[in-house]
Amino acid sequence: MSENVNNPLRVFWSSAVLAKRALFAWLNPAMWIMQLFGMSLFQIAFFVYVAKFVNNSEVTIEFVAIGNALQSLAYVSVFAVCNITGEEKNQGTIENLLVSPANRFSVFVGRAVFQIANGLATVTIAFMYAALIFNVDFSQANYLGLAMVILITTFAMTGFGLMLSSLGLFLRTSMIIANIFLFIGLLLCGVNFPVSYLPGWMQPFSYAIPMTYGTEAARMAVEGASLGELSGLLGAELLVGFAVMIAGYLMFRWFEYLARSKGTLDRF
Amino acid sequence: MPRLRATVASFRHQAAMFLAEPQWLIPNIIAPFVLAMVVLMLYREPSPEAVLYAVLGGGMMGMWGNTLYASGFSIQSDRWWGTVDAIFSAPSPLIWIIGGRTIWNAFVGIVNGLFVLVAAMIIFQTPLEVADFWLFMLAFVLTLLSLAALGMLFSAAFVLTRSAQVLTNGLEFPIYVGTGSMFPIFLLPYWTHPLSYSLAPTWGIDAIRYAALPAYADGFAAGYWGDILYMSILALFYVTISIWLYKAVDHRARKTANLMRY
Repeated sequence: MSENVNNPLRVFWSSAVLAKRALFAWLNPAMWIMQLFGMSLFQIAFFVYVAKFVNNSEVTIEFVAIGNALQSLAYVSVFAVCNITGEEKNQGTIENLLVSPANRFSVFVGRAVFQIANGLATVTIAFMYAALIFNVDFSQANYLGLAMVILITTFAMTGFGLMLSSLGLFLRTSMIIANIFLFIGLLLCGVNFPVSYLPGWMQPFSYAIPMTYGTEAARMAVEGASLGELSGLLGAELLVGFAVMIAGYLMFRWFEYLARSKGTLDRF
Repeated sequence: MPRLRATVASFRHQAAMFLAEPQWLIPNIIAPFVLAMVVLMLYREPSPEAVLYAVLGGGMMGMWGNTLYASGFSIQSDRWWGTVDAIFSAPSPLIWIIGGRTIWNAFVGIVNGLFVLVAAMIIFQTPLEVADFWLFMLAFVLTLLSLAALGMLFSAAFVLTRSAQVLTNGLEFPIYVGTGSMFPIFLLPYWTHPLSYSLAPTWGIDAIRYAALPAYADGFAAGYWGDILYMSILALFYVTISIWLYKAVDHRARKTANLMRY
């Protein structure tokens, strides 16, 4: 038994399996499918029609549709992942989880695994909408490059979500943080307009979020950029992804310590 | 009168809950605020009319965000706290209890909508100069009430499902798109127009623009008072359906006995 608890891979896998089972214990699969197909469609539509109305020659429909197709990932990788700790609180399971000797990193990364798969499916569907409904031209696209962009962005943004999730250990709810970062990416990450439009002091914040590199790389991949041309952006995104994951782990330990010392662990 | 007392008590309870945790205002403000900012950034150098157009849309979205989340969590929170069966077993019909909560949420919605308006005005340094202040306020308040009526309709359906949170999140953008909160609905595909016209806030935001923008050219042929009339009829229709739906939901919830499941 203790061997299992001390094996991080086993803890990771059982945490991932449990998270998926727990999700579908309350979420009707039909509802999940509706969410999978519906969320990105309306987000892309909203910004595409806004872009049509504003009629800024520098921001094309393609620019907005591709940006939002990739950013639709945020609902899963930021919002859902960020809420992991908050939901453990709501269910009354956070204390049991934290008194277990299991590796924290394995437990919480495992919890996020299903959302990585969910995110990949969400973005794939969103890009299909971009092509079929919003007429984005994929004739020159580098599909392998685009697949790499989606994969790396999903991984990096899930790391970002986990970092935010650590706040949920200390705060009464992680949902507020989740909501803020669900939408702030629309403004900061070059999703709807180039990052250069932002005031200079805001631009460093943009480049601290992996999505910024992802949206730029996705547009290049759709225009047919080779893997070599994408490698700089993807490398930077991976680097930021690892950095936020490490920061997330350190924050997690810190907020766990704070929550234990101040007795706020089960406050929600 | 006992029913009215239940509504007043429910209103006070909802106010107390809000004041105990006012940070819940943030999620409802952040989306419309960010979306209004995105639209204004897209303009690059927006004219005062463009700022007002986007900000009015942001205000409407702020009110909708609040109504939607309040409706979605109205019963879901009771499920989490274990108080939902106590509410259902109270002698007052559910609609009167939800009614009190809805009135409070509508009040917070005004604060929410005004916050988005004022914050955007300060950031973009454009004074809030509306063409006709009183017509603007009338349209603003009636739009809020129509959103509250729509929220009541949704909240009745949310009682039946354990996935209210998912539905709540999923209904945010469709309403922003369908009502033309940030663009005229004639940009949408023609076949979607009847859906947009069936939403009272579509008429509400049009009336708000008529009252606020001196040279509003994209408005519906019905004009300001036509918008107000259609919005009011639709809102009354939503309330009527909600009353019926709450009775049906109450009956069904007692029959299936799965209200407490979450």
